[in-house]
Amino acid sequence: MALKRINKELQDLERDPPANCSAGPVSDDLFQWQATIMGPPDSPYQGGVFFLTIHFPTDYPFKPPKIAFTTRIYHPNINSNGSICLDILRSQWSPALTISKVLLSICSLLCDPNPDDPLVPEIARIYKTDKNLYNKNAKEWTSKYAMA
Amino acid sequence: MARFRSELGILVSFVLTTSVIINAFSHKKQFYPSIVYLTKSNSSMAIIYLQAFVLTLLIGKLMNRIFFGELRAIELEHLFERSWYAITETCLAFTVFRDDFSPKFVTMFTLLLFLKCFHWLTEDRVEYMERSPNITVMFHARILGLMILLSVLDLNFVNVAYQHTVAKGASVQLVFGFEYAILFINMLSTMTKYLLHTVDLQNENPWENKGIYILHSELVLGFIRVFLYLTFMSIMIKIHTFPLFAIRPMYLALRSFKKSLNDVVQSRRAIRNLNIMYPDVTPEQLRNYSDTICIICREEMANPNEGPQQIKKLPCDHIFHKNCLRSWFQRQQTCPTCRTSILRFNNQPAQPAQANFAQAHQAPAQQQAEPPQPPNINAQPNPNVPFMPDFPTPFAPLGMFNAPMPPFAFMPPPLPPLNLASLSTEELDTMEGQERHNVEARIHCLRNISVLLNSSMVQMQQYMNMCAATSHLENLTGKKSRVENDLNLVNSQEESLSQVKQEMSEEKNVFENLAGSSDQTAASTSKQSENDEIRRRRLEKLES
Repeated sequence: MALKRINKELQDLERDPPANCSAGPVSDDLFQWQATIMGPPDSPYQGGVFFLTIHFPTDYPFKPPKIAFTTRIYHPNINSNGSICLDILRSQWSPALTISKVLLSICSLLCDPNPDDPLVPEIARIYKTDKNLYNKNAKEWTSKYAMA
Repeated sequence: MARFRSELGILVSFVLTTSVIINAFSHKKQFYPSIVYLTKSNSSMAIIYLQAFVLTLLIGKLMNRIFFGELRAIELEHLFERSWYAITETCLAFTVFRDDFSPKFVTMFTLLLFLKCFHWLTEDRVEYMERSPNITVMFHARILGLMILLSVLDLNFVNVAYQHTVAKGASVQLVFGFEYAILFINMLSTMTKYLLHTVDLQNENPWENKGIYILHSELVLGFIRVFLYLTFMSIMIKIHTFPLFAIRPMYLALRSFKKSLNDVVQSRRAIRNLNIMYPDVTPEQLRNYSDTICIICREEMANPNEGPQQIKKLPCDHIFHKNCLRSWFQRQQTCPTCRTSILRFNNQPAQPAQANFAQAHQAPAQQQAEPPQPPNINAQPNPNVPFMPDFPTPFAPLGMFNAPMPPFAFMPPPLPPLNLASLSTEELDTMEGQERHNVEARIHCLRNISVLLNSSMVQMQQYMNMCAATSHLENLTGKKSRVENDLNLVNSQEESLSQVKQEMSEEKNVFENLAGSSDQTAASTSKQSENDEIRRRRLEKLES
């Protein structure tokens, strides 16, 4: 079932790719994907290309896929290992969600960080108190790590 | 850089140790005095302890290479996080056993921590199996070898602690024995998961019951863990003091046990609901839906080429394959589309009634033979619906109309004997009298029921008005559906009531005919045998 559904999602992604994102298997193994997210415009990540890894569990879609950033990013909800603090990737997962929807959610998380549930408290504090410093740091990191 | 630094550290430690030992030998010239010199000197002992620590780390690295190969980032993160907790708890344990504090004690705690680390890593590795379907033979060999080694070590240490405690009474060995017992239980749980994952990986098709097995094994092992912790706590409080260091793991064990118990109960309930309560969707009904893709497996549900897969409709009107829903309900009990908790509908008596109602339409004959469990309204009062305070209890199970023995306030009438021809005129007359009494009692009962139904209709009306007035938009839909369900219940009850009424009137007719015929009996004795025949037939009819 997992493989069938992953195949279907891959077809859907090819047919109707979401804006600013792309995703696909790394090799023959359909359970390991790589995804890219373009830094959304009107965010300090604009212009950056962020790579993510996606691991599907064997009982997908009943369990959420494991998604992590491989490109470093300055964000209150993403830590240095690339782990993403997003409820739909944990307790709020539903089999109705797809990779394309999850990637869109991550895009919107980039635009609107959630400093009240931070993974990196330091960045969350800066985001809350000094938005300009946060923007400056995020832009710096983006040009340092996410631009070729 | 970090690698270089750690190598330098190891080298420095080795150099220091050798220099300390050479220094001792050059001073004392002989083996025994030099050993005494080494153990007496604090600075040399410190260096030797450092060396032992470095050696432990090296052995750990070696074992890691043999059994795990490269560690993944997440595994390292877990390892460090858990190690910190374990070290703080060990320090707390030291405070409890400060009298026993000795190098041997420290060594044993280090060994325990060392083995704990490997248990955690094994756990993480087995979890990783679920994510990576390409498992090599090497992986199996490593994991199996490690699991066997660790469980043998655990059992051995439990045994050592047991022997020690039996021989020398309670001591710090108790703590070790208990810790290793817990580790062994954890290893059992990891093994179960490993076995389940391995079996699952062998199969092409997904294994639907895997989730259930995992839930149940967690429940059993969680129970054993909680039991062990409680025993340990009580023993420790009795002989020593309150074991502060065991509080956090005990709390975690209790919480996970509660969670697994909850999971098992809720998933069972959800799957039972799925099987009994939620209606099947027929191909005809499926045509009314614009989107007929099962959102779980993304397959077309209306596809005639696919085998006949059962489709179920949830109370929130979303439809899915039954098998897909079952797999999901093993993990969470919400609607995949709208996240409505499906267990929320459980406490409402109207819901099963609706399902029964649907069944009754499909197979009325079957329902007559086997009356469904009536929704016992008094037993499960819906907090939202105000019930009549003076609800007479004998009439509580309103749903049971077609039951062969209605639970009314009086005993059901005795059935007339089969062989009516053998009865005399007087006996038949008395039987008629009894039948009349029974029919009167039944009519009385029916009147009571109709009064109750009317009053519940009035209440339902009030309830609907109240809903319309007070509830905001979000609650409205849910409550409306509940009210509709309640109305369905009332409708079904009314329908069965009219059925019963009709039966009663038929019975009454028969009774009147009987009464008439008994008058005739008195008038004409020549037609006695003929009348007897009629009576017998009518009584048979009554009986049926």
